[in-house]
Amino acid sequence: MAGLQIYGAGRAGDGTNTNILMLGQALKDMGAWIFSILDEVYSNIQTRDSGFAVRAADRPVFNLDDEFDILQAFDVGAFVDIAQEGRIPPITRLKQGGVVIYDSTPRLEYPNAGHEIKLEKVQDILDGKRARVFGLPMGQLAKDQLGLYNARGTISIGVIAHLVGIPDEVIVKRFAKRYAGDAVAINEKALKIGRDYARAQGWEMPELKLSFTPLADDTRQVILGNEAVAAGAIVAGCRVYAGYPITPASEVLEYMAEHLHQFGGAMIQADSEMAAAHHVIGAAVAGARSMTATSGPGFSLMQEAISAGGITETPMVIVVCTRGGPGTGLPTRQGQEELNETIFGGHGDFARIVLAASEPEDAFYIVEHVFNLAERYQCPTFLLIDRTLAQSSYTIPALDPSGFVIDRGKLLTAKQVADRYVNNGDEYKRYELTEDGISYRVIPGTPGVTNYYSNTNEHTEAGYITEEETIRQAMMDKRFVQRMELIGADPELPQLRQHGSPDAKVGFIGYGGVYGPILEAMERLDARGEKAKFLELRTLWPFPGDQVRGFVDSCDTVYVPEYSAGAQLRGLIQREATGPMAKLKSLLRYDGRNMTPGWIIDRIKEAK
Amino acid sequence: MATYTREKPLTRADIAGESAWWCAGCGDFGVHSATQQVIMSLVNDLGVPLENIFAFSGIGCSSKEPEMLRVNAYQGQHGRSIPVAIGLAVANPGLTVIDFGGDGDSYAIGMEHLMHAVIRNVNMTLVVMNNQVYGLTKGQASPTAHKGLRTASTPKGKKGRNVNPLRLAIAAGAAFVGRGVSWQRNELVELMQRAITTKGFSLVDVFSPCVTYHREPGFRGSGPIYDWYKQNYVLDIKDAWQQLRDQVFTEEERATLPTEYDPSSPEAALNGLHLIFEAAKLGREVTGCLLIDESQPTQAENASVSAERAPALADISLPANLDAYRGLLAEMR
Repeated sequence: MAGLQIYGAGRAGDGTNTNILMLGQALKDMGAWIFSILDEVYSNIQTRDSGFAVRAADRPVFNLDDEFDILQAFDVGAFVDIAQEGRIPPITRLKQGGVVIYDSTPRLEYPNAGHEIKLEKVQDILDGKRARVFGLPMGQLAKDQLGLYNARGTISIGVIAHLVGIPDEVIVKRFAKRYAGDAVAINEKALKIGRDYARAQGWEMPELKLSFTPLADDTRQVILGNEAVAAGAIVAGCRVYAGYPITPASEVLEYMAEHLHQFGGAMIQADSEMAAAHHVIGAAVAGARSMTATSGPGFSLMQEAISAGGITETPMVIVVCTRGGPGTGLPTRQGQEELNETIFGGHGDFARIVLAASEPEDAFYIVEHVFNLAERYQCPTFLLIDRTLAQSSYTIPALDPSGFVIDRGKLLTAKQVADRYVNNGDEYKRYELTEDGISYRVIPGTPGVTNYYSNTNEHTEAGYITEEETIRQAMMDKRFVQRMELIGADPELPQLRQHGSPDAKVGFIGYGGVYGPILEAMERLDARGEKAKFLELRTLWPFPGDQVRGFVDSCDTVYVPEYSAGAQLRGLIQREATGPMAKLKSLLRYDGRNMTPGWIIDRIKEAK
Repeated sequence: MATYTREKPLTRADIAGESAWWCAGCGDFGVHSATQQVIMSLVNDLGVPLENIFAFSGIGCSSKEPEMLRVNAYQGQHGRSIPVAIGLAVANPGLTVIDFGGDGDSYAIGMEHLMHAVIRNVNMTLVVMNNQVYGLTKGQASPTAHKGLRTASTPKGKKGRNVNPLRLAIAAGAAFVGRGVSWQRNELVELMQRAITTKGFSLVDVFSPCVTYHREPGFRGSGPIYDWYKQNYVLDIKDAWQQLRDQVFTEEERATLPTEYDPSSPEAALNGLHLIFEAAKLGREVTGCLLIDESQPTQAENASVSAERAPALADISLPANLDAYRGLLAEMR
């Protein structure tokens, strides 16, 4: 695969994220497919080390490669663990012979002040990497010539543009799109300063020259996972969103705040996740397709409402952007520790559906099914995406909303209400025991129904409280036992996808942020004659036990990579499909960082 | 389907649900009777379609109220009726939302939601059957239990202060704040009706005595607890206002003050707080309508949704939206 991976190491607040985003947009306009990640972000607003990375390739990519080609070092944190708490500096991930572009300004300014790069102190590290080191006083140049210290990031872009061959106009077009007023001209000048400096110094890296071909009419998207989910929800008909800011789910809330009103919807910024989940119930009872998104501790706060949604048979939709736990855990880092809570959380037995998206296109398209299934089966329905998908940007083919089908299940129209109840004298019952096991919903306010009674207590068909054994049993059978059977047989449940060589004896099972690394690891294994296949799970509950068992049976060894010390996915597979089985081997990453293809290959040897 | 007209009005029987769950003599009977009367009046006199009325409740003796009715309703978990009501009120501002809470439900476990519902000015009415105790769990002190009250959870008498819901609601900017008593039905009906027809968040706190678990020395049994309230606890707003006029304001100020308390005046919020504090000095609680202020936009208005533009009624079909969806997606390139 042709590609280029660039890292920006700076400090929070110094514009490194913008630097990487601009590079990503420019590389995309050069014809590349990009993956861009907030690689190292601390959960605070103080000026800690931060790292952002972009990978550009000649086909869609979903993860970083093991090593990068270019490291932009905006302060010494790129090379050393300043706080000495066990941080592994980005330089360790630079490939042998890779490029280091660093700011040689003798005294850096806030927020990098005090972290100037003194080359002699890091020379050993750079020598160990046989790095091509290009230093220029970016901060000084930016301040002296542009009066804006933070424009140094664009000077660095100028150097990179020179080295890899991105024409000015490609980048300037992006400046015009992102900035307003003076900022466009300042950045244009900064770009030129960087390019001219590199040229004057004779810096060249012919092996890094881009080989992508720009597209004449580029309709591809650049999309954040959270935005894919939010846009998918709007297209699926979500018209009420309630949420509370939490990393890594906030972009869903922000997208809804920006766009939902354009479609006659409303965003409610709730006073807590507990409130948000209950707002979702209220809006769903009112007849709106409604949703929330959260993570970790916010999700724990929602468990009461989820249980209420179960017994009231409310089609509530909850997006769980998983992160590292427990407690506050690692808010800004990768993790998949909410899996068990999503499937088993909320007190009591009730029907639920849990879907998962592993890549950005699916994060958009799968939402169609999330809402249809929620309304068809009138139960809490979840979409799991992990932090890496939620907060990374991807180039993907143009999203096409035209295929979305809206099926609202047994939600009666005013005319149906008139025909069924008003004109023939039948009485509406919210929890009617019907032949197919699903009761009718109506939109409150529909003439003819003045007894829409939704109840979190055990209830009669009419919705009124009861504790009698016969009706209790009938309601549990209808609402849970029969409902899960119906759901399990529904062809709209997203089917698992199998990748790789069908006859391989080595298998992988996973979902979410393991997707890209597994696909690439399999390619590398294949290149050395080791065939493998990968079962990508898209429905996690009801668990596709038969298919998973069949897959496991067809393999000699099955690796289960996941971001959980407790091996939650492997536990689920064993509980629902295989029982304890020695040929299932966990590959667990729970340091909050992302797997790469090499990480997987290195670990399959000693996996247990 | 029944349509209700002047000739064939909605009757109490039309909106009668289950038979009562409460102890004989419970104050909640009075609230229930007033509620039915208010609903009849909304439908028969004000032309509110019965199907547009939506009742909520949580957990507690108070939460049985919707069960005793026959209207659209959501009976939820403890303290959570308000956030569910908020979701419904935003999704369909055309509905008339009445939430029935108790003092534990609304002022303890649901306090977070109450405060934000007031601040957001959700267009809904919360009727709280306030009896100072947790009846359903057999008599522990609630947040409104007065200092010194002996209950199962305060065997030596309650220490510390009680929640004063009227004070909080006024301070947080409610559109309507009032308190009724369950034994004066006509006044309660009037109060509830004014609350429901007021735009914005309305709090109607109702003293609704618990005849089983609220025990006062010298007032044992179901009749006497009412006597305790009347003799020792409530202070009618007319008397409170008179007292305030006489004792707090100067002669000069008095000359410009109306003889009757005006809940709609621009000074009502401050005067209302004044009344509450003056009554507290006497160990009493004010009853009556303290505040009506429709000057603030509702949550729905702030969200640019309305009965006509209700998210729950939006056309979400693909053909109606496809061009707009394409435009939305094209922004991300």
